[in-house]
Amino acid sequence: MNAPMAADHVLELKDLRKSFGETKIIRGVNLTVQRGERHALIGPNGAGKSTLFNLVSGHYVPTSGEILLNGKSIAGMQPHVINRKGLSRSFQITNLFPRLSVAENLRISVMGRHGYRFTMFRPVASLKAVADEVEQYLEKLRLTRRRDAPVSDLAYSEQRALEIGMSLATNPEILLLDEPTAGMSREETAYMVELIRSVTEGKTLLVVEHDMSVVFTLCDRISVLVYGEVIATGEPQAVRSNAKVQEAYLGEEVAS
Amino acid sequence: MKTRNLFFVLAGFAILAIMPLFLTPNLMNAVIKMLIAALFALAFTLAMGQAGMLSFGHAAYYGLGAFAALHLMRAVEQKLFGFPTALIPLAGAGVGFCFGLLFGWFATQRSGVYFSMVTLALAELLFTLAPTWNSLFGGESGISTIRGASWGLSFGPDIHVYYLTLGWFVISAWCMWAFTRTPLGQLALALRDNEHRVRFLGFNTHVARTLIFAISCMFTGVAGALLAIANEATNYTIFAAGASANVVLQTFIGGAGTFFGPALGAAAMTFFARVTSDLTRSWLLYQGLIFALVMLFVPNGIGGLISEHSKKLKKGGWTALVGPYALCLVVGLLLVTGLVFLVESTHILLSDSYIAKTRSAPAGQSVPFSMLGIVFHPKSPTTWAIPVVLIALGAALLPFTKKLTEGAWLKATGTEGSKA
Repeated sequence: MNAPMAADHVLELKDLRKSFGETKIIRGVNLTVQRGERHALIGPNGAGKSTLFNLVSGHYVPTSGEILLNGKSIAGMQPHVINRKGLSRSFQITNLFPRLSVAENLRISVMGRHGYRFTMFRPVASLKAVADEVEQYLEKLRLTRRRDAPVSDLAYSEQRALEIGMSLATNPEILLLDEPTAGMSREETAYMVELIRSVTEGKTLLVVEHDMSVVFTLCDRISVLVYGEVIATGEPQAVRSNAKVQEAYLGEEVAS
Repeated sequence: MKTRNLFFVLAGFAILAIMPLFLTPNLMNAVIKMLIAALFALAFTLAMGQAGMLSFGHAAYYGLGAFAALHLMRAVEQKLFGFPTALIPLAGAGVGFCFGLLFGWFATQRSGVYFSMVTLALAELLFTLAPTWNSLFGGESGISTIRGASWGLSFGPDIHVYYLTLGWFVISAWCMWAFTRTPLGQLALALRDNEHRVRFLGFNTHVARTLIFAISCMFTGVAGALLAIANEATNYTIFAAGASANVVLQTFIGGAGTFFGPALGAAAMTFFARVTSDLTRSWLLYQGLIFALVMLFVPNGIGGLISEHSKKLKKGGWTALVGPYALCLVVGLLLVTGLVFLVESTHILLSDSYIAKTRSAPAGQSVPFSMLGIVFHPKSPTTWAIPVVLIALGAALLPFTKKLTEGAWLKATGTEGSKA
């Protein structure tokens, strides 16, 4: 592992726990995401991956434990506060503004980042910096041609691309992607992985993903979550050959 | 497209501006009330249509705006201080905004049905509180005052009130339209579509929704103040749940998804209520029927229908529609006339006064009744043949008309996909 980078943790989870009533979903997770890496979070269904994302992004409040963003605690803060501190997430189920156009969707993200949150005495069209940035994102996401289409008219893979672009457009230090290729065909998945690579150049990523080929081609490090605990973290090769991981989760899929 | 819309808006305002020249006093009063209702509906739609907040208690801010204006007018009347009559709606705006912030802060903690219930509860609170709070709401009889003269205008005749109302309507409508173009207005649309996501993009959605709700209440307060100026009086019934429901119905009939639709719906329904409430006691039934039919067959309302036509119609395509629409009108009239005949005659036959007449009449003899000056005999088959034939004829023509209209619509738009 790269020693100088190890000191620079963007996100650090320390003994994080979450229970719903009697049921313990997250049972003491320790995880660090280093600056600039693409970190995958894998695990069988029901391992608690979504819950972990919801804790980190502020949707749920942890029962105990710490969540540090750039060394400062964000545990229990509201989602919008966490977003402004530099952590943004995408959603597994496409979560857009269906009646707005593609450009208008992105504009909501961008204008918030520029501090135009509750501005009501100037037209949004007059904000040149916002408009320029929206165009840049449209180009990066290869959606320029579709800029004025209502989101509901987009193809599924285009919606997924916009979903990620929306989260990216708040310009976070770390981006959490929740199953970015869920429900996609093989070609769409390949396209998506390549798109994620290009749009998140230089960004820190934490990705939940089921498709192992995506995990192994996209990510630098992998953490395996089983029953609310991280049982292994490391580079793809190391995780692939880890006996505990093979037993718990990967099986033949990886061995082949 | 854009310039055409502008043309229609300007033409509309021009007509409103010269309208008083041709209006009888009674009609002028009706148009004032229509303008106020239209403004109320536009303000309501700011929260409902744009931000998706279905308030069932907007009468609260309407009423508070009215009472604020009346108290200010009373203070001026008693020469406590001077204040131009034309600016009195500012009092409604201020009070509407403040209570919008206060009540909105609580209501917007919840979404959907729960939000609606909280707004309803807060309005009901005022409705029950007002009659017992004499100093502020004037008890059950309410408070009244007179319009003072200012800026060289007496504000006595209705025409002064007309232009005052029109002026405030135009300014408010423009402000609300401009609001949709601002970052906060755009955020309102995003909140309507998906509040959850907005939160994860760095926006405090509670603050945003409170602010948008308060702005809606501010313009609602202006509408209430204009009503107070027009009537020179109000009482606690302005807070009634029925008043809150009314603006919801009018907005949906007008089309909550369009900007000007709700104003059209409110104006049309206010006019309808004014005309029919003088003619029949069943007018609320008809109003309810209109609402149900609009929701069933034109869920996007009048505004949705108009924008559908302006967007999809080919150049000159309307020529194909004139015939089928005329037939629709005829079929509609057949059905409506038959239904109204049944409702009104039943209403008469079951009334106490008619039953009393039958008692005093010789046994076995039917007592005729009259509607619209025509005399009918309740035991004559021809009387009942009228509505039956009308409705049967209408119903028989209905499938044919539907097919014809759908065909014409396809021809006029040159596209697949059916109408409404």
